Amino acid sequence: MSKKTTDLDRRQFFKTGAIALGSLAIVGAGATYLKSNKKNEIPATNFLRPPGAIDENIFVAECIKCGLCVQICPIQAIKLADIDTGLDYGTPYIDVRNQACDFSCDSLQCVETCPTAVLDFQQFKRVGEEAIEKYDEEMKGKQMSKDYNPFRVQIVAMKEQVKMGMAKLNQGTCLAFQGKGFEGIAREENFKGINRSPYTNDRKATPVTDKKYKEEICDICVKECPIGEKAIVMEETKDASGNIVKRPKVLDGCTGCGVCVMVCPTEEPSIIVEPVKA
Amino acid sequence: MFDLFKNSKRLTPLPPKPKDELPHAKLGVSYKDWHNGHVNKHKWRNKRWAVLILINGLFILSFALDLSLLEGSLSGSRLLGFYLMDPYNALQTILIAITQGHFPNLTMNFWIGLVTIFMFYTLVGGRTFCSWICPYHFISENLEKLHDYLVKKRKIKEHTYNQSLRYVFWVGFLILAVLTQQLVFEDLNFVGITSRALIYGPGLILFWIIFIMIFEIVYSKRFWCRYVCPVGATYGMIGSISPVTIKFELDKCGYCTDCQDVCLVPHELWFVKRGKATQEVHFTGNDCTKCGLCVDICAGEALTYTIKGLDKLG
Repeated sequence: MSKKTTDLDRRQFFKTGAIALGSLAIVGAGATYLKSNKKNEIPATNFLRPPGAIDENIFVAECIKCGLCVQICPIQAIKLADIDTGLDYGTPYIDVRNQACDFSCDSLQCVETCPTAVLDFQQFKRVGEEAIEKYDEEMKGKQMSKDYNPFRVQIVAMKEQVKMGMAKLNQGTCLAFQGKGFEGIAREENFKGINRSPYTNDRKATPVTDKKYKEEICDICVKECPIGEKAIVMEETKDASGNIVKRPKVLDGCTGCGVCVMVCPTEEPSIIVEPVKA
Repeated sequence: MFDLFKNSKRLTPLPPKPKDELPHAKLGVSYKDWHNGHVNKHKWRNKRWAVLILINGLFILSFALDLSLLEGSLSGSRLLGFYLMDPYNALQTILIAITQGHFPNLTMNFWIGLVTIFMFYTLVGGRTFCSWICPYHFISENLEKLHDYLVKKRKIKEHTYNQSLRYVFWVGFLILAVLTQQLVFEDLNFVGITSRALIYGPGLILFWIIFIMIFEIVYSKRFWCRYVCPVGATYGMIGSISPVTIKFELDKCGYCTDCQDVCLVPHELWFVKRGKATQEVHFTGNDCTKCGLCVDICAGEALTYTIKGLDKLG
C-alpha cells in the first residue's frame, strides 16, 4: 500500500471518526435528557414492574431486555415496553387493568429467571426458607404425615413478600361505598384477562368473564384477592346515618398485584394500584 | 487490530501468477468458459439461512407455543434451561453494575451464559454469529441486492468508510453506558430490536431499523453491520482467536474477484486481487463472518472453510 493511500485512509478515518463521536455524544445527551425527564413519571399508576423489581434507576440500567420473564409467565401478565408506553424501551411491565399478576404460577419464576437480578430473587428465597424452618418447627414429629407440605407455606411467604405497589380505593365510584351490589360478569364480554380465584380449587387461572357474580354489596375485589385477608377485607363500619355497612379496606399486606383492579366492574376501575417507589 | 494474521499484509507481495499458471490455462479452457462454467449452487448460503431461520424460529415458537426450547431473545436467552448472554450487552451490564454496586447481585446464570457464549464463539469463529444467527443480517443481506442494483444503474454512488469506526463505537457506547447509567446501546441495538420484534411482536421502535435500512439502500451498503454494530465487533474480538476461518489458496485463484463482490467485509479478502497475495495460503481475519458466500461463488474452489491447525493434518 502506498504512503499516499495510507494518509488518505487515515484522514478519512479521523473525519468519519469525528462524526461517529459526534453522533455518540448526541445519543448520550438524548439518553440523559430522556432519563432526567422521565424520572418522576415511571412507573405509572396501574403500570407496574414485575415482582421483586429493585430500585427503578438500577432497574432500567441493568435490565438487559431479554424477555425471559415475559416468556416464563404462565398468564402472560408481563409485557415488554415499546417506546410509546412512557417506560424505557424493552423493559418489562405489568398493565394490571388488562392482565394482573395473580400468583397462579405459585413460584415467582419470573423473578428467579432474571439473569441480572433486577428482579431480585434473594429476598424471596430467604423468606421462603424462613417460612419452611418455622413450619418444620411446628410440624416436628409429623413430617411423615400426609398433611406435611412445606411448599405451600413457602409460596405463601414468598407471595406476601412481593411489593409491586399499593392498592387504593376511589370511594367516589366504588359500588360498595354507594351501597350497591353487583350482578353479572365483572368486565366487558370480550375481555381477555384471567385469574385464579382463591375460593375455588382451580390450579390454573380461568377467564375473568367466566365468573358470574351476584353480590348484595359489591365485594369482588375482596373475593378475588390472591393474598386474602392480610391485603383487603370487607370492613363493617357505620355510615353517616349510623347504619352498619360493609366496605372494602386495603391493608398493609397488599402486594400491589392488581387483581382487584382487573376485576373491578366499574368502567374506570374504582381501585387502583400505585407503584411502590423504591 | 486483534487479528493475528494481518501482519501477512505487510509482507512483500508475491509476483502475480503468469498466464499459463492460472487455473483455466491448467485445464486448457478459456478464462470465460472456466469462469462461467461454475454453477453457484448456494450450498453454504442455503445451509446458513436454514440455521438462521431455525434458531430465530425456535425463539418465536418457544414463546408462541410456550415451549421451553429457546426462550428469551438474542439479548439473553435460555437454551433448554442453559443461559446464554449477548457478550456486548453483558459487558455494558457489568460496567454499570460495578459503578452502581449491583455487581455482586448478578446471578450465576448470567456468568454461565456469558462464559458459554464466549467459549462457543471462540470455537466457531466469532462473527459467525452475524451471518448464521443475526436476524438483521438476513434482512440486509437481501436488501443489499436493491442497493447493488441502484449502484449498477448509477442512480446512487457507493460510500465506504474505515472499518475501524466500529471500535470507536464499541468504546463509545461502553463509555456512554457508564456515563448515563443506562444500557443506551440496547435502545439502538439491531440484533436485540429485530429479535424482540420477531418474538414479542413489532413496535414503534422498528422505525429506527427502517430508517437505517433506507440509509443503507440509498447511501452506504451494509452501513450498520460494517461500521457501527458493536455486537459484531465484540464477536469479532472473540473470533480473533478462533480456529474456524476461510482459507485461500493462491494456486487455485483465477483473479476474478467475484468473492469480494459478494462479501460483507471485502477488506478481509484483500489477498484475492492480482498481485496482492503475499503467501500461497491466506486466512480471513476476525471481521469475516464465515458466511460462505465467497466459498459458494469461487469458480476455482480457492476459498474453503477450514479449521486452522487441523487443515495441516489432513
